[in-house]
Amino acid sequence: MLFIIGAGALNLFIALGLSPLYEGIVRKMVRARIHSRTGPPIRQPYYDLLKLLGKENLQVAPGWLLTLAPQVAFAAVLLAALLVPMGLHRSPLAGYADVIVLIYVMTTAAVAVVIGAAASESPYATIGAGREIMLLLVAEPVVVIALLTGVVQTHSLRLSTLAEWQLAHGLTAPTAFAAVALFLSLQVQAGKLPFDLAEAEQELVGGPFTEMSGPRLALFKWMFWAKEVVFASILTAVFLPWPHIPLGLFGAGALAAGLAGTLAVMVNLVKILVVVALMGVVDAVMPRLRIDQALNYFLGLIFVALVGLTLAFVS
Amino acid sequence: MTSQELMDRLKQRFGEAIASAREPAPGAVYLGIAPQAVGPIADCVSNEMGARFLITTGTDERPLPEGGFRVSHIFSFDQDKLFCILQTRVNGDDPEVDAITPKVRGAMWAERELFDVVGVKSRNHPDPRRLLLADDWPAGLYPLRKDVPFDIKPEPDFSARPQLAEPPEGASVLPIGPFFPVLEEPAYFRVFVEGETVVGCDYRGFYNHRGIEKLGDSALTYNQVPFLAERICGICGFIHSTCYCQAVEQAVEIEVPARARFIRSLMLELERVHSHILWLGIAGHIIGFDTILMQAWRIREPVMWLCEKISGNRKTYGMNLVGGVRRDIPKEDHEEILGVVGKVEREMAEVIGAIVGDTPLIMRLKDVGPLPEKDAREICVAGPTARGSNVAIDSRIDHPYAAYPEIGVEIKVQPGCDVLARTLVRLEETMESIRQIRVALHEMPDGPIMARVDAIPAGREGVSVVEAPRGEAIHYVLTGDDNHLYRWRVRAPTYPNLQAVPTMIQGQQIADVPISIGSIDPCFSCTERMEVVDTRTQAVRVFSQQELLELSRRSRR
Amino acid sequence: MIMSKLKEVIICLRAGRVTLPYPFEPSVVPEGFRGTPQVDVEKCIGCAGCANVCPVRLIQVYDDDETRRLIWHLERCTYCGRCAEVCPEQAVIMSKEFETSTNARADLHIVVDLDMGPCRRCGRCFPPPNPLDRMMVTGFREAPPLEWL
Repeated sequence: MLFIIGAGALNLFIALGLSPLYEGIVRKMVRARIHSRTGPPIRQPYYDLLKLLGKENLQVAPGWLLTLAPQVAFAAVLLAALLVPMGLHRSPLAGYADVIVLIYVMTTAAVAVVIGAAASESPYATIGAGREIMLLLVAEPVVVIALLTGVVQTHSLRLSTLAEWQLAHGLTAPTAFAAVALFLSLQVQAGKLPFDLAEAEQELVGGPFTEMSGPRLALFKWMFWAKEVVFASILTAVFLPWPHIPLGLFGAGALAAGLAGTLAVMVNLVKILVVVALMGVVDAVMPRLRIDQALNYFLGLIFVALVGLTLAFVS
Repeated sequence: MTSQELMDRLKQRFGEAIASAREPAPGAVYLGIAPQAVGPIADCVSNEMGARFLITTGTDERPLPEGGFRVSHIFSFDQDKLFCILQTRVNGDDPEVDAITPKVRGAMWAERELFDVVGVKSRNHPDPRRLLLADDWPAGLYPLRKDVPFDIKPEPDFSARPQLAEPPEGASVLPIGPFFPVLEEPAYFRVFVEGETVVGCDYRGFYNHRGIEKLGDSALTYNQVPFLAERICGICGFIHSTCYCQAVEQAVEIEVPARARFIRSLMLELERVHSHILWLGIAGHIIGFDTILMQAWRIREPVMWLCEKISGNRKTYGMNLVGGVRRDIPKEDHEEILGVVGKVEREMAEVIGAIVGDTPLIMRLKDVGPLPEKDAREICVAGPTARGSNVAIDSRIDHPYAAYPEIGVEIKVQPGCDVLARTLVRLEETMESIRQIRVALHEMPDGPIMARVDAIPAGREGVSVVEAPRGEAIHYVLTGDDNHLYRWRVRAPTYPNLQAVPTMIQGQQIADVPISIGSIDPCFSCTERMEVVDTRTQAVRVFSQQELLELSRRSRR
Repeated sequence: MIMSKLKEVIICLRAGRVTLPYPFEPSVVPEGFRGTPQVDVEKCIGCAGCANVCPVRLIQVYDDDETRRLIWHLERCTYCGRCAEVCPEQAVIMSKEFETSTNARADLHIVVDLDMGPCRRCGRCFPPPNPLDRMMVTGFREAPPLEWL
């Protein structure tokens, strides 16, 4: 019980408290560096959230869906954060939920964005919502197949079991395929180029977020940053759990376990930083793709993921 | 075909309909024709003889001895280096003339504007909606008539509504504008879409009229106009001031000293370099590739510093006056100019080498926004928009001006007809411009930079074109009394290019609409030069539309 | 594609960060920069050539019998430099000042008051108070015809 509360608080802190920091680091150290400019201070995303949360909550269209959508999306991503291990040997809610719930929760977040867009009654939001749904339909299968590959290999629906299995067996071909496919689909999950079609500023003003302002926009932005961190953590803690910091590294006893746990979390945070930075590099050097080009890309990616799944069945 | 041959051919064909034919300056043929012959002659000149329509000018000549309203259609015979100006006179307070648009597709907007500014109606025009003036400008008030003062502030007509086209069955409207992130100035592209595919488009622009033509022919003297002309556009200002000065110099037969011509060419090419690199950045930004924006503008920045050193300002160089230039470029600066353009050339070559293999980037540009050659010729587009559709026109070659005959220009044409072709044209032109800058510096002769200009006589006409980065800009002047112009007509290159946008985006996807619009390198501020109405603020009690509008407008003094 | 992306990244990273530290450090402008005009009233002779050529007409000229007042409304200035160019006494220079924002309009006004002497040819402009003094100034010279006024 203690573990659930403690690890839960830790996961939420990483997903909520540290995700704006990651965003700020990527903006200044990666994107601005590639743009040859100084860039905003690293704390800027925190200032953005504070400013937005303090603004007026405009009801631009009638109905409660407009208010509910960002809250549902945000809650879904928070729940996903509790389902994913972030450095410790298992996630806070490991005993209560597994891969299937994670998939549903992630999809809920994406669907909530679409519903919010549809509720805002703007032509830009409608088109943005349409694009979001199309991307959802091709990107989610990649994640699902990648996770299923793990399931098939370990004969268990638990994420932490997959991590342990990985550590025992080393990197196998099916998991490698799954990891690659998952990494290549991260850009769209985080709404980054080349797949930020939904919110294409130059084409659709704000896409699904055109009519969102103030606290609603804050929640959506935060949700995207948290989603990025959560997905990165799936990649780093589940599919690529090396280097491994066992709990008994510093000896037996609660203090030693605490130290080892802290170190494990730190290592994971660094790995997440590497993943997020790589995503930032891709974001800075790619133009936005059109929807048909994006769909073609993802169909290819689904194929890659299926190869991994087949290999998993075969072996 | 020489000008004499042109005049003879038309006189032979149309006989008495052509009342007069004169050539006050070499290369500009002015034909006075009867109003009923306008349509057939325009048809012959444009469709049979292959001239390109440039612009239509309406002049209120009621105060002059001949009276009436004079309508001039300006055509260009590019291969023969000739301007052919068809002029006709109509009388009365509600004058009418036959529209040439049914035969000359490129005249669509020009004739709508003709009605807006002087009130000459074009009979049988396919789309006689208001073009230039604000929707609530009162009907029947024609700003460029001589009895309308330049600082008039009429009461808005609050019952007026914008006349916008309706979407076809089953399509919905995606409003791109009037305020939109990718447009630097307000413009309203009313795009009709079915899902992600564009099925039609309507355009309402000219939100930023500024009254430039009216100011030019009422409030300013000849040497004050170049400074106004320079502010027609924030990127190609020098083009407009040069074009205006050249038009007056042609009208009054002033010979500009050679050194001044070279300085003008040098500054024009520097402007082209910075404008094309700027466009590359904007194109990158439009497709979401901000890195190109940042890097291209970083490479371009030394050119702005250089211009600041040479002319005193980054962009509004202020160097042109009628008769030459007012600021010399001393030999000490030549070294620095060569250094800057050399570095720009190296860095641009590197960038071009890097992006040529960039598949996702090319995927967003290739086969996007297609403008077939036939449409490009009919709509009479100009500049890289035309050259990217295999139409080989370039004012520096077709109507040589400044020092281009001595420098030599190599025209860059691409057959692709899509956005990628226009991109390649602009990139190649950047390199070509740098070569021309080197030649200009090398060949620049010594001597005076300003000709002697005596009092400018009234009643002289001049036409000049200059190749702006976006295409050709054309200025027409009619000189007047007392150091003032009588009429000044400006047509910026974006004017015909915007008319090609609906053709470009037909059948494309929404994602391709901004880059298609961006590929013509739109400079809306160049296109809009009509009067803006100011109202002063008033106290507000009840928020009616009238009061809200007045609240949102502030006095400029 | 990978090669071209690598080339692009190398170009970007090699350039470093090029953001200038303005306004924390001043921005140096080159010689010949056209900043805000400055008037040396000691040199000004009140010819109002500047008022004549200014494209935005920011110089207003008010005359009474003995003085000429020139008011420069520099909030309208477009920094074209024509005033400095035509001034016969080089009383106007284009300074290097470009940071002229202020919330007091009067900061941007220059008022030049000049005591004018009568014209020695015709005695019409800024005339002496009585005909006798006028004759002292113009002598027996005939005033030129009025057409050109």
